[in-house]
Amino acid sequence: MPARPARSRALVLAAVVVAVAACFALNRFGAYLVHSVAIAAIGALALNLLTGFCGQISFAQGALVGIGAYTAGNLGNAGWGLGAILAAGLAGAVASLVIGLPALRLRGLYYAIATLAAQFVIEYLFKIAEPITKGFSGLIVKPLVLFGRTLASDQAYAALAVGVLALTWAALARLMRTNVGRAFLVVRENELVAKGMGIDVARTKMWAFVVSGFVTGVSGALLVFTHRLATPEAFELPLSIDQVAMIIVGGQGIWSGSLLGAAFVVLLPEAIQRVGEAFDIAKLLFAMREMAFGLLIILFLMFEPRGLSALLRRLARWVAGAVSRKAPATASPAAASAEPLGPRATLAAPNTRTQSGGST
Amino acid sequence: MKRHIGRVLLAVALLAAAPALADVNVCIWGTITGPDALVNGMSYGTHDYFQYLNQTKGGIAGQKVNALLLDGRYKLDEELKIYRRCVDQENAVVINGWSTGSAKALREQVQQDAVPFVSETFSSEVLDPVKYPFVFIAGATYEQQMLIGLRAAKAAGAKKVILMHGDNEYGRAPVTVVRKSGEIEKMGLQLLDTIEFRYDAQDLTAQLARVKAANPDIVYIQSSTPQTLVILRDAAKVGLSPKLFIGNMYNISPTIPEQLGPAAEGFRAIQIYANYGDPIPAMKEIEAFKAKNTLAKQDLYYMKGWFKGKVIAAAIESAIKKNGGKAPADIKAFRKSVRDELENVKGLDVGGITPPVTFANHQGPTQARMSEVKGGKYVALGDWVNAQ
Repeated sequence: MPARPARSRALVLAAVVVAVAACFALNRFGAYLVHSVAIAAIGALALNLLTGFCGQISFAQGALVGIGAYTAGNLGNAGWGLGAILAAGLAGAVASLVIGLPALRLRGLYYAIATLAAQFVIEYLFKIAEPITKGFSGLIVKPLVLFGRTLASDQAYAALAVGVLALTWAALARLMRTNVGRAFLVVRENELVAKGMGIDVARTKMWAFVVSGFVTGVSGALLVFTHRLATPEAFELPLSIDQVAMIIVGGQGIWSGSLLGAAFVVLLPEAIQRVGEAFDIAKLLFAMREMAFGLLIILFLMFEPRGLSALLRRLARWVAGAVSRKAPATASPAAASAEPLGPRATLAAPNTRTQSGGST
Repeated sequence: MKRHIGRVLLAVALLAAAPALADVNVCIWGTITGPDALVNGMSYGTHDYFQYLNQTKGGIAGQKVNALLLDGRYKLDEELKIYRRCVDQENAVVINGWSTGSAKALREQVQQDAVPFVSETFSSEVLDPVKYPFVFIAGATYEQQMLIGLRAAKAAGAKKVILMHGDNEYGRAPVTVVRKSGEIEKMGLQLLDTIEFRYDAQDLTAQLARVKAANPDIVYIQSSTPQTLVILRDAAKVGLSPKLFIGNMYNISPTIPEQLGPAAEGFRAIQIYANYGDPIPAMKEIEAFKAKNTLAKQDLYYMKGWFKGKVIAAAIESAIKKNGGKAPADIKAFRKSVRDELENVKGLDVGGITPPVTFANHQGPTQARMSEVKGGKYVALGDWVNAQ
């Protein structure tokens, strides 16, 4: 039955082309929102690969975004176009590999603390490596030049970010269908079992760090070409926390969760702002916005640790169930297809994972 | 319930659609919630001044002002997003932004969009009327404030100075510029040391012990109120008098004497705007507004906000008058006209908040005066001094 996957791929490709083209129909503000969500989603995909699929939690994503941003900013200013984005990915991959070295000996909370330390060290380096980062003053970045054309509009950057998001998603999903991808899942579930199965755990983890770092570096490159300024403050711990929040809210170990989580984290403040304006209580909601965000994270952790993705699936199943109750004779295919968690998602549920800490 | 659902739907619709062009749209963002929210009276003051004009004069030149106040949260990505909303969705004729970072990131964009942009920063890096003709600030730069403070100290007999600053752009850049300029030595002062500290430090006892060992006549602090609170608290611990310290205009917060009490007595800071409550004409306007509205802040930073409101309103009024008494229908032409009129502001009476101002220099008042904590309040020392 090769026709169906080919048709699905064609449909997905068409959807991506339409999404990229649609960016040019947006106004600047809308394009900026799309761009912000797409970049955040690329970063969340990278972290989801590392954490959701390979079980290595990291609090150094902010620093890796920064490494990508400074690399792309400097090379972009030197006239590199696409090369600046790829180089940012490579720089992110190398840095991620170095940050990941302690993971060969540490696990769980202990490794998370090691990444936190790496975040602080790199933040400090951003401040003192003035020839590269321009220190506290920040690196002013010229607009990106791609194939001889300067990208000047928010719409163009949104289209680029959406295109890169689609490519990244497809590549990572493809990776998970290879032996390396399957090894990620086994390592996440139990390293001893992985060893018993003949998987080189250290090499598998290193692959996860390299790929995740590359993607994170690329997200940093896309970010800096829109912001046009890279300062150390922009890549501090709160950015890492935001990315962790995205995969918690969206759903660990589920690719669509990265996009949903990114959209939620990026758009929630804007939505609260607009609701506040409509009810003329914007000033009140200014203060409540951060609190509401924190509260929602807690609620997700308590009631739906598999995130928005699982929530939407449950909703779809409930709708399908309601329809089938009304029309039992015709609704069975929809109900049958509403299986919420396939084998991959079941593996992804955090509460089923074996977590152990300490030196190994 | 239906009404509420309708409002929510309206809010969602607003996300996608741009509002209709109001008479005069002004967009203001500040740190309403965030690390430097202590000084956000600067944003509230400007917003309230436009409300005051709407309530008492029917707006500017008879046209209602739609002043939108947004929260930039002192986050660059949030500020960049708000800027696009202001330009693209709100059709703002003037934008009042906040941080140094956003002003630097946006300065090229502002030229492309040709929208007048007034920033709260005092950074000299965005002040260039030729290169950035649409960017304005509202007072003496940090470097000018530092020179005013040091000159005052020199005039009082000081010979040896130490500079203290936070480890960020705001702390480090002005100190570097002044040191490299050689102005400290030119005025006959000896720079003993420059001490950098973590901007979020909660204990600076070690740094203050270093100050004590150097025995300076004056210490100039380039930081904001929270850091100055730590410095003065720890200075008392090591036996240093608050009279030794001078801060910039962000150290003239009532919080300092309120929280430190005697440990703040004698501390001096640079004052660019009048204190809240000073017997000046602008205060009568504020009192009249306060009688019918609730003020979010009542401090010197609110005065700065009110001052900016007066300057921006004067420029908008001139632009409308030059267009025959109506706001130009073309937003691009309106923005260009307001920019030109901001530059044309000359000898404008701002109700005593500062001496009459001229904005041809894109920074307005370059005068400042020293203010000292006496009896738990800031008391002006002498008259306004021109930084230039």
